[in-house]
Amino acid sequence: MELLKRLYKWVDVRVGAGEIVEKELTGYLLPRNINAWYSLGSVLLFIFALQVASGILLLIYYVPDADKAFKSVTYIMNDVPFGWLIRMCHAVGSNMMVAVLLLHMLSVLCMGSYKSPREFNWLTGFILFTLVQGISLTGYLLPWSQLSFWATTVATNSANAIPVIGPQLVEFLRGSKMVGPPTLGRFFALHVAVIPAGIAALIGAHLFLLKRTGVSKPPFGQSNTTNQWKGDSYRYEDHPGGIPFFPNYALEDARSVFIYLAIFMAVVFFDPYLFFPKDAFLPANALVTPAHIKPEWYFLANYQTLKIFPNELIGLSVQGAAMTFLALLPFIDRGRERHPLKRPLFLACAIGGLLLWIGLSVWGHYS
Amino acid sequence: MDNNGRRTFLGACLGGIAAGFAAAVLWPVYRYLAPRSGGGASAKVVIPEKDVPEGEAKFFEFAGASAVLVRKRGGELVALSAVCTHLGCIVQWEKEKQDFLCPCHAGHYNADGVVTAGPPPKPLAKLPFSLANGAITVG
Repeated sequence: MELLKRLYKWVDVRVGAGEIVEKELTGYLLPRNINAWYSLGSVLLFIFALQVASGILLLIYYVPDADKAFKSVTYIMNDVPFGWLIRMCHAVGSNMMVAVLLLHMLSVLCMGSYKSPREFNWLTGFILFTLVQGISLTGYLLPWSQLSFWATTVATNSANAIPVIGPQLVEFLRGSKMVGPPTLGRFFALHVAVIPAGIAALIGAHLFLLKRTGVSKPPFGQSNTTNQWKGDSYRYEDHPGGIPFFPNYALEDARSVFIYLAIFMAVVFFDPYLFFPKDAFLPANALVTPAHIKPEWYFLANYQTLKIFPNELIGLSVQGAAMTFLALLPFIDRGRERHPLKRPLFLACAIGGLLLWIGLSVWGHYS
Repeated sequence: MDNNGRRTFLGACLGGIAAGFAAAVLWPVYRYLAPRSGGGASAKVVIPEKDVPEGEAKFFEFAGASAVLVRKRGGELVALSAVCTHLGCIVQWEKEKQDFLCPCHAGHYNADGVVTAGPPPKPLAKLPFSLANGAITVG
């Protein structure tokens, strides 16, 4: 301990570490009524780090070539020691990341944390959500299985419905008329370089905005639950008398991360193929379309929406409108109230929207 | 128990789990990254005798490294490791001089793998081989 203290002092007198610790950790105060939902951001950061680490490990053996991709994944799963564990962590982790991201968004919606002055926080978070969907979609193709091949065929084909530029856009996305080796090359580049860099940059922007505006106060356990922001000048929302981030809330964050890890490991060890239909174990065959090809669970609602509308363009437009509405929600919902039970219209729309999304997903799964 | 006591207890529990988790992760990651053992280390290589004419050398892969068979003028066969003992470059056969040259730092070996000039500290390693029915079996 004495040695550690001396080492800390050695660093402190050179770079002023104590000042940073005081400002960013022990002196960084959070609302006293902060709850566990606020730790989901930290859980997401942890998941992203785990995805990057497992992804780098997979890159060592994975070969992004249409003739070798499936074999290389089979080699990782069957021959490389613990290759199955690394791959399962990556595949299960990607699904869990989407699930936790949805929960994080839901908590922000319910607590009205997206409201002024946090429009930019919401927008960067929303872009992160679309990037995570993008990285999942591009990663789906890489094992070059029947599932990868045909799910990507269906997903890229939906852009065909866009008037005038649709067919050109599909060909541009695929790099060829049909999904093939050029698609694998560009999806690989997007998955391992372009989108991760975008996600890292957006996470940086998201955290920067969080630090500049301050953490929002949960609308629970207090009499006045309206938004106090006046909009006349920039003001950091501080929480005098609040709890310090370190060690108090850092421990809450750690607890949430460990609860997540317990659930994550339970899936990896006891039901690793939860997210793998049987077509995921067959190599891609461009001449044989499997029956009932389905996208991943979080795209099932989009898939079913496209199916129920008689015209693909209408289906795509409805989805685009819903996504745009969600992205611009802080600019549409200008009410000052933040408590969900005091916002009946919001609560009705949120529950209705959630039930619709679940209903469409279940319908899409069984259709 | 006061709040600080509970916090310390929670911190100690989470720290302990984190340490256990880190240890449990390190072993699979090490095994995943470790070079694959076996895989031809003990395999023999068979080369037809006619592929090594007099005064010439035949390079091939043996036990995961480069090796060379030389038939000296006069007909004697020699099997050697082709990895220079200086810094691990692969030696080249100079037919006219009947010796090996390492192009990295100009090390020279004679046809038996003995150092004749330059920085190599040791001769090229000799490999066991046998000759039967017109085939040379190395290993």
